[in-house]
Amino acid sequence: MPEALLTPELLRRLEQFQLLAARRAKSSAKGERRSKARGQSVEFADYRNYVHGDDFRYLDWNLYGRLERLFLKLYEEERELPVRIFLDASESMTFGEPRKFDFARQVAAAIGYVALSGFDRVSVIPFPDVANDANAEPGTHIAERAARGALRSVRGKRSAIQFFENLSALTAGGSANLNEALRRGALEARQAGVAVVLSDFLDPAGYESGLSALVGRGFQVDLVQILAPDELSPGTFGDLRLVDSETGAMQEVTFGRFRLKAYRQTVQNFMQRLREFCQARGINFFTASSNTDLQVLLLKQLRQAEVWG
Amino acid sequence: MHFLAPLAFAFAAAIPVVIVFYLLKRKRVVKLVSSTLLWQKFLAETQASAPFQKLRKNWLLILQIILLTLAVLALTRPYFSTTAKPAQRRVVILDASASMQATDESPSRFEKARAEALKWVDSLKDTDEMVVVLAGATTEVKQSATSEKAALRRALQACTCSDGPTRLVPALKMAESLVRDLDPRTGPEIHLFSDGAVPELNEFENKALPLVYHRVGKGANNLGITALDVRANPEDARQRAVYTSVANFSPDDRQTDLELLFDDRLLETRPLTIPSGQTSPQVFKASQSRDGVFTVRLTSQDDLAVDNQAAIVSLMPKPVKVLMVSRGNRLLEKALRAVANVELAIATDLTDAAAGFDFVVLDDVTPMVWPKGNVLAIHVVNTNWIEGVKRVEAPPIVDWKSAHPLLRYTGFDNVQVVESLTARTPTWAVSLVETPQAPLILAGELGRQRIIWIGFDVLQSNWPLRVSFPIFIANAVEWLDPANAKSGQLLVKAGDPFRLALLEPQTGAEVTLPGGASKSLKLDPTANELVFGDTYKAGVYRLRLGTNDTVFCVNLLDAAESNIKPRDELQLGKYTKVSATTTKRANMELWRTITALGLLVLLGEWWYYHRRTV
Repeated sequence: MPEALLTPELLRRLEQFQLLAARRAKSSAKGERRSKARGQSVEFADYRNYVHGDDFRYLDWNLYGRLERLFLKLYEEERELPVRIFLDASESMTFGEPRKFDFARQVAAAIGYVALSGFDRVSVIPFPDVANDANAEPGTHIAERAARGALRSVRGKRSAIQFFENLSALTAGGSANLNEALRRGALEARQAGVAVVLSDFLDPAGYESGLSALVGRGFQVDLVQILAPDELSPGTFGDLRLVDSETGAMQEVTFGRFRLKAYRQTVQNFMQRLREFCQARGINFFTASSNTDLQVLLLKQLRQAEVWG
Repeated sequence: MHFLAPLAFAFAAAIPVVIVFYLLKRKRVVKLVSSTLLWQKFLAETQASAPFQKLRKNWLLILQIILLTLAVLALTRPYFSTTAKPAQRRVVILDASASMQATDESPSRFEKARAEALKWVDSLKDTDEMVVVLAGATTEVKQSATSEKAALRRALQACTCSDGPTRLVPALKMAESLVRDLDPRTGPEIHLFSDGAVPELNEFENKALPLVYHRVGKGANNLGITALDVRANPEDARQRAVYTSVANFSPDDRQTDLELLFDDRLLETRPLTIPSGQTSPQVFKASQSRDGVFTVRLTSQDDLAVDNQAAIVSLMPKPVKVLMVSRGNRLLEKALRAVANVELAIATDLTDAAAGFDFVVLDDVTPMVWPKGNVLAIHVVNTNWIEGVKRVEAPPIVDWKSAHPLLRYTGFDNVQVVESLTARTPTWAVSLVETPQAPLILAGELGRQRIIWIGFDVLQSNWPLRVSFPIFIANAVEWLDPANAKSGQLLVKAGDPFRLALLEPQTGAEVTLPGGASKSLKLDPTANELVFGDTYKAGVYRLRLGTNDTVFCVNLLDAAESNIKPRDELQLGKYTKVSATTTKRANMELWRTITALGLLVLLGEWWYYHRRTV
């Protein structure tokens, strides 16, 4: 591991948090989350009439003494909360100083660590797939594929070290299709849970259908938009020919300091549209520049928005 | 609409050039960005394909073509033909005298006047004419009547201020002649830019001169040297006496140091306090071992610098060599010997031109050869000098010119003459002593020869017995001494020509001006006099003529000019006055403002263009 994703100090503080899920967990696996399922726990849920074959151990004998009827005590089953982290690993994420992708990985690591600490299942889904690169020699991406495979399902705090290592092994490249990645992620999920999308959302095809699919599947979606400082306020002026890193499309632009304000307004409008879309669908929306202090985002903004607490 | 310069339409060829520039592809810097999504709004107006591109609607291009079209249109000088009004003529007289150098206006009165005159040039209508006259020590027409403003501006810029006094009369006469015959309905005007320190203008009293007086100057803070002379000290013949006057024209009392220098060596410093409006005469005594230049200098600062210093050439006194040709006249001989510094030789006849002598006294002797030098001729007749000679007996003396330097301190009250020759007063001479019929004594300068002619034999009168006789002889010696005449020539007023007699033919001379620059003169070998007119700057001039060096001094020495108080009125004679005008120039043209506005638009266009790239 070239450099630790998160400092021990930050990890210690993150351990105090637990992901807050507004909805009941729907996972089939046992966990520490309240769920609608009835099962064994100490939390009383309801009564129901005794039917033949029920376990006598759950009969409420006190009630039988008063009413001379048999009732069965029901308890809440505690299930796990599946947390799916959609990590944008396209070429556009490699820009910025520090790189947007590095920042996204740190956020993913933090969210993953909080979830693991709370005995929740964590899946990290980087997109696009590695297989996009058809010309690559066979075997080039073996380590990458292995790491991606290992990140599909992680559980338990003991797996945290391995989880961080696998995250660090990820690389970014290629052209992403955000909508498709989110849609597929929503379909693939057996149970809905918490979905965290880490991306710059600079996809010409948009993001609307993908996010709608996640919400429609029942996910509680948290969204962190990560932009590079240079994207928020560019430092290159003059007559430029811009080349899109993902699509390779060229665009000629004449840009000067006097138009900086107009550019910033464009960025604000873009973010505002995203924010309004999110608000309309109950999605938690955060935006961060890749040079933002990680602690501020994690310990303050996410906590205030009750992503965790 | 017609065009004065239709050829200027050729400049319209520049319009396609502008369009070609817009067709050319811009060179752009390639930059890899994460996504072009955010840049959609900033698409360049000109999206290029290959070296040339399709022309798009572009406001910059349209603006530039409009500007270019307007510029071309202006260059063609379009006009509408209408009936022309008669041209108005303005004569601008710029006072270039020494007082205009005063620095009470910034940077000087002359520059202020010039700037004011230039504004009047700007206000000239296209059909109006203007004449530029520079009035210094000489009057010069710098620009004859024209309506071409560039030429007028050039003429005004070429004007320079001299150190000389104002000679406004010839300038006004010239200006008057330039406007006299014009139709008075066109309103010809003479604009005088001056401080009003001008001499009498009596002759314009009844001329109804359309004079507009623009007063320049505001202060009168000046101390000036107004007189300077050097002579032998009457109390001690070995010393020289320098006479000078310092006048205070300031409104308050002034203190200053007056310095005397001999060839730039300080001899004496004298502190002076001069009340306002007063003149303080000063006499310095100094010994002198060689020919040189005495300079007097005021150390205090004032508005006019040129009159704070004056210089005079002082030549070593030499004995006056006099040849007396006489059959014996003891009284005359005694009177001549009584004059200090005279070396007297006596002869009974004159057979050559008496070249070795400063002057010749012909006492009742008609010489074989007439002398070339100065002559005191007593009772002799030279028909080259005078004509109509008659004899009169016992002529009564009725009048004499006591103001003439020859008759200083003399009188002819008790003088009786037995008989005398009389003649008509020739043009070269003035009559000093007169009878009712004709003059008895004449004096004047014929060619460069000074001549005193006395019609009667002094022994045939009682004049030698009177006290006026030896005084007259002493005056005559001083007047006839060529050295005195010469030293008088070595002091020139600024603007006056310097003249020097040439004893032998010369082809060239070189004059070193006060600033250190030198000027070569070409002389006609037949000329017998050198005249140097470029004496507009005060100071010491050095003239090299063959192997001889001659030093002469140019000074202002003019109380009227040193009095720099600007006058509110010009007095033309007794009853006519011209007040300083308060009117400012009229019909200011707008094209400068409009051009400036156009330039502003152009700047705006430039800014609009660059705000996208800077």
